[in-house]
Amino acid sequence: MPGKNGGNGSGALELRGVSKTFKAEKELRTLQDVNLTIADGEFVVFVGPSGCGKSTLLNMIAGFDAPSEGQILLAGKPVKGPHPDRLMMFQEHALFPWMNVLNNVRYGLRWKYPFKRKRQLERARELIKLVHLDEFEKALVHQLSGGMKQRVALARALAPDPKILLIDEPFPALDTMTRQKLYGDLQSLFVETRKTIVSVTHDTREAACLGDRIVIFSGRPARIRRILNIDLPRPRDLNDAAVSEYSAEILKELEAEEKNG
Amino acid sequence: MDNTVTKRRMRSYVIGFYLLLFASWQAVITLHWAPDYLFPSPAQVFKRLYELIHDGLLTPSIKATILRMAFGFSIAGAIGLVIGTLMGMSTIAHACMKSLFLGLQTLPTAAWVPISLLLFGLSDRGIYFVIVMSAGPAMAIATADGILNIPPIFLRAARTLGTPLFMMPVRVILPAALPSIVSGIKLGWTLGWHGAVSAELIKSSVGLGYLLYMGRELNDAPQVVAIMIVTIIFGLLLDRFLFGIFERRIRKRWGLLKEQPV
Repeated sequence: MPGKNGGNGSGALELRGVSKTFKAEKELRTLQDVNLTIADGEFVVFVGPSGCGKSTLLNMIAGFDAPSEGQILLAGKPVKGPHPDRLMMFQEHALFPWMNVLNNVRYGLRWKYPFKRKRQLERARELIKLVHLDEFEKALVHQLSGGMKQRVALARALAPDPKILLIDEPFPALDTMTRQKLYGDLQSLFVETRKTIVSVTHDTREAACLGDRIVIFSGRPARIRRILNIDLPRPRDLNDAAVSEYSAEILKELEAEEKNG
Repeated sequence: MDNTVTKRRMRSYVIGFYLLLFASWQAVITLHWAPDYLFPSPAQVFKRLYELIHDGLLTPSIKATILRMAFGFSIAGAIGLVIGTLMGMSTIAHACMKSLFLGLQTLPTAAWVPISLLLFGLSDRGIYFVIVMSAGPAMAIATADGILNIPPIFLRAARTLGTPLFMMPVRVILPAALPSIVSGIKLGWTLGWHGAVSAELIKSSVGLGYLLYMGRELNDAPQVVAIMIVTIIFGLLLDRFLFGIFERRIRKRWGLLKEQPV
């Protein structure tokens, strides 16, 4: 079942009755019976009260953590451990400082095309071009601005052509201008590459600007409270009136949750 | 304030300090505050130093000590790196060995000389043993600490990008820990240098430590002080320039270096 974006025909991501319990001093249930199907080429955003377990869910999709109950399936196969099919982008850029931009972007390709140096470099350069950093191929990580680092991280994540891109808080520590530009870039990349993207945020406006579907979680233990479809054409701007309306609606839902919770 | 001017001024202060130090040293002797057969003047020391170079005694000794260091230190480095990596990656290994190595580190390097005599007699192997035991623990601990302090996000990024587990040490763990490892190498070199000279005092017929020992045997205070100065200079040169430059480069590349006032 393809999403609005057309998809790349690699199959959907299915969450079946996913729960997570952490065993600290007492049992701490963070996620409760999450059922969700994410179609190919869909941009889904998780929002919810802070600490509700939405990041835990993203970690489990990435394979860093396993559900206590339930199953996560990608194209019908259960998810086991990290794999570049479900590639995660982190809050901080997490670029490797001992490599230059080119080698950072090339990094995942070393394992996808082992020993094929030429192919690795070609693909890496293609991605660097896509994020408009051609002139900074040889630059070191600490020489880049915050926005550039995030663009390199994006290029690095897209290079191995993941089926699903997981984004934990896209572009948090950046100024408004840079963020806005990156939202534009991310949307055009989304449209061009037809990637499935799952992202976590606590910024309702960001969610409304980026997502096809917004999954709103309740407080701990997190359940899906509501799923909101955003029927707006792309590219969307953070300041569009329609985006603001959706943002307000998400916010209202979160506030209602806070009162109940 | 212009940075280059202050730097230059600082350098002239340092040079002035050393001139003053040597001048007051010479003054102490010239004014007969201390007997010159016990406490040589700088003039005597530099004269003796010139003789040692001229007689061809100093150069082979410097060479011998540095070659011993190069060999012993390579072994120490290899062992320290492997054990340190093991400690960094296994909490059990870390728990067991950290206290042992911290304990070994409290031993003065010269304290390894008697046991090395018993084990290896008067051979060069004993000197290598002292160097390894002096430098190895420091390097193992620095490597382990470096690995344990790697931001977890690097490891997670590497895993999600598809790094096979067996490639993690070479591709991610060691490079990420490198700044700390290099600091360990620097410290290890200093400790190994102490150990090498200490061991040569007793066990050798060539080397800086041997020349120190001979100076004492012959009641040749100028020689003892001259060799001490040479030992300081070479220790400092290798530490500051060889490893210092390497360390600085790495810290700069890793983005750890903020411009420091020197």
